[in-house]
Amino acid sequence: MNNYLDLDIKSIHELLVNKKIKVSDLVSEAFQKIDDNKLNAFITLDIEGAKKRALELDEMEVPKENLLFGIPIAIKDNIMVKDLRCTCASHILENFISIYDASVVELIKDAGMIIIGKTNMDEFAMGSTSETSYFKAPINPWNKNKVPGGSSGGSAVSVAAGFTPFSLGSDTGGSIRQPASFNGIVGMKPTYGRVSRFGLVAFASSLDQIGPMTRNVYENALLLNIIAKHDPKDLTSFETKEDFTRLIGQDIKGMKIAVPNYFVSSVVDDDVLEVFNKVIAMLKEKGAIIDYVDVNHIDKAATLYQIIAMGEASSNLARFDGIRYGLSLKEDTLEDLYKKTRTVGFGTEVKRRIMVGSYILSGENAKIYYNKALQIRDDLKKSFEHIYENYDLILGPTSSRVAYDVNINHDDPLRSFMDDILVMHANMGGFPSMSVPMGMISGLPIGIQIMGPAFSEARIYQLGSFIEKELNLNLKAREL
Amino acid sequence: MSNYQKTIGIEVHVELKTKEKLFSPSSNLYGNLANTNCNIIDLGYPGTLPTLNHEAVDLAIRAATVLNCKIRTKMHFDRKNYFYPDNPKNFQITEERTPIGYDGYVEIDDDGEKKKIEILEMHIEEDTCKSIHSKERTLLDFNRAGVPLVEIVTKPCIKTSREAVLYLEKLRELLLYAGVSDCKIEEGSMRCDANISISNTKELGTKIEVKNIGSITNVGLAIDYEALRQEELISKGEKLKEETRRYDAKLNKTILMRVKETGNDYRYFPEPDIPYVILTPEHIKKVQSEIPVLPSIRRDKYLKAGISLLNSNKLIANKDLSDYLEEFENINLKTASNLLLGDISAYLNKNNKSIFETKLTTHKFEDLVKKLDEKVISNKNFKDIINDVMEKDIDIDTIMKDKGILNLVDDNQVLEIINKVIAENEKVVGDYLGGNERSLKFLMGQVMKESHGSVNPKIANDLLIKTLDAKK
Repeated sequence: MNNYLDLDIKSIHELLVNKKIKVSDLVSEAFQKIDDNKLNAFITLDIEGAKKRALELDEMEVPKENLLFGIPIAIKDNIMVKDLRCTCASHILENFISIYDASVVELIKDAGMIIIGKTNMDEFAMGSTSETSYFKAPINPWNKNKVPGGSSGGSAVSVAAGFTPFSLGSDTGGSIRQPASFNGIVGMKPTYGRVSRFGLVAFASSLDQIGPMTRNVYENALLLNIIAKHDPKDLTSFETKEDFTRLIGQDIKGMKIAVPNYFVSSVVDDDVLEVFNKVIAMLKEKGAIIDYVDVNHIDKAATLYQIIAMGEASSNLARFDGIRYGLSLKEDTLEDLYKKTRTVGFGTEVKRRIMVGSYILSGENAKIYYNKALQIRDDLKKSFEHIYENYDLILGPTSSRVAYDVNINHDDPLRSFMDDILVMHANMGGFPSMSVPMGMISGLPIGIQIMGPAFSEARIYQLGSFIEKELNLNLKAREL
Repeated sequence: MSNYQKTIGIEVHVELKTKEKLFSPSSNLYGNLANTNCNIIDLGYPGTLPTLNHEAVDLAIRAATVLNCKIRTKMHFDRKNYFYPDNPKNFQITEERTPIGYDGYVEIDDDGEKKKIEILEMHIEEDTCKSIHSKERTLLDFNRAGVPLVEIVTKPCIKTSREAVLYLEKLRELLLYAGVSDCKIEEGSMRCDANISISNTKELGTKIEVKNIGSITNVGLAIDYEALRQEELISKGEKLKEETRRYDAKLNKTILMRVKETGNDYRYFPEPDIPYVILTPEHIKKVQSEIPVLPSIRRDKYLKAGISLLNSNKLIANKDLSDYLEEFENINLKTASNLLLGDISAYLNKNNKSIFETKLTTHKFEDLVKKLDEKVISNKNFKDIINDVMEKDIDIDTIMKDKGILNLVDDNQVLEIINKVIAENEKVVGDYLGGNERSLKFLMGQVMKESHGSVNPKIANDLLIKTLDAKK
């Protein structure tokens, strides 16, 4: 079997330009690898569509400036791709075929990328292990007994296992960055509004953001170049135009970095801190200025997340009612149809969150919980912005621990939230944040989180790429 | 008279006359084939997001302005969560906390006595689907889903059914003329609910809502019926419960729909997909400057032209006709209004047309009014030719000729007949010239006979005298 997909993007592009390989070769290789390694990374594969599109591209001249032309990509199964199933890993949408393309998917298709399929995930992106999927859970390519993280677990696995160099995930409270950390890849949650959410099945609208998951920082920035575009169909999207690769390779001497004390407190495993501290030492040595800081409300993110995300989710998921699309279990009365369809259609975790969210928004609770949470969220955002007045970026571990054993979160729903206590702040404040591999612990990768003020992605890529180059980890998932 | 005092509050939903829907680019059109004006957003498809139609916001600014409301400069939308098949997302996007307009009033004139009906608030929201119940099934028409509405809520300051009717008539007139809405109750673009309670103490009684009343007159009837019904129950010692009723116009009765459950919980929260809407004073001013002339100015003009108050109000209520009249600068308004409110209205109603859909060009109408004023044609003549006037692309003179009303057009033809009569009645002409005025009547009779009754008597008479006098 060929291993063209293991080459870096520039090399693949060169081979395509020089007609040494065809787009069809890349697509066949992707499907071959997916088939050879049973990792349940995908819920739906578009073998026929992808091969057909590849043949079309084979007939075209490869545009020299477009590095992503003909490159396979995997899309998380909560993002609409026309004519493909979009299940959100839920029984209720098990047979739902999308009739339109999400705005990001239009951009990806326009760039000539080839969509290989839709990746596995936690049901409706609710979870951090991908185990709440209605389908067989995806497997961590580093160790089959460990979770791949979530909710964008399948997207992370697809990149880590070398099936596709690129994938799209979505991040509501760490769902791109935590699985990126657990799989040893790069995952970026862009600034809220950078990437259109039109066509992303909403979980928590004010927190959701689509982002790129890739093998390295440079390729991550390349994909963000494609998908970051103002979209009139999404009122929360921004008009921005910049080259996200532009600072990559520049020195970081004099860069001012803040490390919140909370990020290096006892909430983080000691072995993770050890790896993190080494990176900090390296950065200091290379001339970065690093200070430890306190940030107001930083310990409240998980609580805020529970209230805001679940409140919004209870409303966003109301549309799955068996009337217009998706699973519909006919009963004698309307109320019974609703009840039966939603009881059978949603999994336990989703139902739990809908119930909690509905409770939080009910009557007086809305004032006590939801409105209060919005206030504190605003304060939290301001306290981070206060830090950004004096620092370029913020650093911390992405997750408090490495990937853990499968099936251990089931009895303790709160535990899965604890995974994300270091990454939810970016969603609360709308800030960009990226996870880059920083080392290995007991054969499992672990990521470092770089967060910055709104629209600072290029600066994040600069530091991320620097860390990547200095550490030179050359990660390769071992179960393959 | 009853010693119970009525307390009435009115909620009106009005569909805004926009090209597109409130949160999607689908067309906002009434009367099209079911489910042809809807897209994935209106259907509540997963992954879709709302956009905001600024034309709707601007029409809401107009509405708030003519209702003398204060206009909020920073507002957001909220989600009202409830499950129902006509509610595609199972939440409705509305303005719960920051209605665009508040603290307004509408002034009514109750036989010379002026009263301000206070508006509590006016907010923008999306309409639901139309449910069509047929036998066992319910069908959904998504054409209406997402149509922009404003809901206008009065304070409970209305005391009588007459005030309620006057308020609604005035409200409709204001919104119609501001170009906010068609306000067609029969098509559902204006929908009225009334909250009625009665009490013989200072404390308010139990509030009962009557929903979706089919006409303004019926709002008055429903209120009177409901107040009487409540009084009877109270006098029997029954305790009223908050409930929602509907009005059956055929029976002139209100009928129970549902008893209100305590504390309907809509789990409102701010719509995260739509950022705050900021209205600058400049923008508000600009929108306000575009509001068309208000009806009171037209009414004053009509009254000054000698049109009766009744007819003036009829013209105002029929905005198409009033707008049509605006196209003329020098026209006898009184004749024109009689023509419009009489035969032309009858024709339009019978044929279910708007005046703008007929062949009655301004040129033709001007000609008609002139001919009526000059008695060149009679009202009876007009009845004979109205179908041709409204439906054919030909001018009035030609129509008259075709219908044999030619004499009125052509003096020479009338003169021909007169000369013939004079020639055949030399003796009577001699009598007339000798001073016998009665001879003129005979001669006129002959002229009418000769023309088979189709000449205009006045013209013929004038012309006959002129011709005879020339012989003196």
